[in-house]
Amino acid sequence: MIEVENLTRQYGDRTAVNGISFAVRKGEIIGFLGPNGAGKSTTLRMLTGYLQPTDGAIRVGGVDAVRDPIGARRFIGYLPESVPLYKEMRVEEYLRYRARLKGVARAQVAARIDHVLAQADIRDVRQRIIGQLSKGYRSRVGLADALVADPPLLVLDEPTAGLDPNQIRQVRDLIRSMAGEKTIMLSTHILPEVESTCSRVLIINKGRLVGEGAPNALRTSGTGGQVIVLEARGTRAELEQRALQVQGVRRLLDVEQLEADLLRLRLEIESVAAAEALSLALAQGGHAIRELRREQTSLEDVFTLLTTREAAEAKAEGT
Amino acid sequence: MNGVLTVAKREIFAFFVSPIAYVVLTVWLLFFGIVFYILALVFAQQAGASETNLLTAFFGGTTLFYLPLLVFAPVMTMRLLAEERASGTIEPLLTAPISETEVVLGKYIAALTFWCVLWAPTLSYVWLVASSGEHVVDWGAIGTTYLGLFSIGAFYMAVGLFMSAIARNQIVAAMLTFLVLGGLFVIGLAGYANVGDDVRAIFEYVGLWTQMSAFAKGIVDTRYLVYDLTVVILSLYLSVQALQTDRGA
Repeated sequence: MIEVENLTRQYGDRTAVNGISFAVRKGEIIGFLGPNGAGKSTTLRMLTGYLQPTDGAIRVGGVDAVRDPIGARRFIGYLPESVPLYKEMRVEEYLRYRARLKGVARAQVAARIDHVLAQADIRDVRQRIIGQLSKGYRSRVGLADALVADPPLLVLDEPTAGLDPNQIRQVRDLIRSMAGEKTIMLSTHILPEVESTCSRVLIINKGRLVGEGAPNALRTSGTGGQVIVLEARGTRAELEQRALQVQGVRRLLDVEQLEADLLRLRLEIESVAAAEALSLALAQGGHAIRELRREQTSLEDVFTLLTTREAAEAKAEGT
Repeated sequence: MNGVLTVAKREIFAFFVSPIAYVVLTVWLLFFGIVFYILALVFAQQAGASETNLLTAFFGGTTLFYLPLLVFAPVMTMRLLAEERASGTIEPLLTAPISETEVVLGKYIAALTFWCVLWAPTLSYVWLVASSGEHVVDWGAIGTTYLGLFSIGAFYMAVGLFMSAIARNQIVAAMLTFLVLGGLFVIGLAGYANVGDDVRAIFEYVGLWTQMSAFAKGIVDTRYLVYDLTVVILSLYLSVQALQTDRGA
């Protein structure tokens, strides 16, 4: 549904998006993740044709979005970040206007509006003036607008920003309910949102793609290593020494004294093989193992690691 | 072209729910009502003495005709695109499957419609003069008068739209429009300085100074129409370019 190659956008001297490439298949729900100012909105604005790329290619639904922007935009329902709306219009008037603008046939406009009002759960405000609505309602009017022409692709820039927890859940439910039927690309910096709704995640930082994969896969592979927790008998010095001698064990993250001769160690390892080697080494040394398990890295850890690694590396080089 | 009408319709709607429309309409009618009243008094006092008639004088004989235009044309056009940009609504507008040309044409049609609505009440003056029986109404001249009005409106609205397309906000758009239209007007005035006849003719032509007096007399001077149309096409073209430049590359 979306193919992006080497997409670049510069504002003067500043490079907001720097040569990113990715593809989105039909029916996927993609989470576009990154800290503020990473280039999320700029990328989405290029996808939807609001901004032209400085370099690179975009294909939406097989249409070259740079050469035929109008053709590409027909596939897309877009919710911009700040949800700009005409404040002087009533909700229904606005949706009628947007439907006509997007080429919905006159005869179908009323039915489409009824449908999206129900989908976005804003039937109760259909006759209200947009300027008088709360932020939660406004963003759902924006969502109804994105849906009104029944596009196969939805591009939602922070769809849950400014909503209360109930509304957030409603929007997530709505997004999940469209899974398979529509292709959805949503940006966010809220991680639980990605875990609960997205089938795949793209992580962007400083204009570059720094990670990609299913939320679960990212969690385990994103760091390039894994963390294991080990509870074993022995003195602290012995256990530390033995563990660190094992091939594939990178470093000791932290130690906790549970009983006089019972310790809990958190170790970073390269792969599961190192965990096996570790268990053997400890058994040979006469250390009884009470527990040896993999620790689930949270997506937060992955995110922090991926988006700060560059800065940390630069810092390390500097010293 | 479905996009053009949809944009135009929304814009006209936005005009008429905004207070600006009613302020402009009220002051406009008041102003021209007073001008018409004064001229009618003057003509009543010197009945038969003057060669021009009341309607010709009203539509083209005085500076009073142009001064309110210079104030109101910027006010009528300032919000067209600058407001979309300032409030961010330009983003959903430009990501809809319509071209920049459709957006510009829609906005322009809306502005011209508002212009026509402003002048429509003056038809009642024509009716008033005709029914008084005191003056002979030259219906051909009335036709050319309104053609001239439309043509000047097309000119002013196009310049205003372009300024709104390049300005960051409404105030800047209004100032720019006022500067350009006021500047042209002053150039027309400069024709009265001590310059040669040829130079004066050019100044008056460029400043639209003589356009209404010609059309109000029933003279269709196609040079004016060509001039107006040229400015309209240029302004609309540049407005489209301005929107495309916003997308950057």
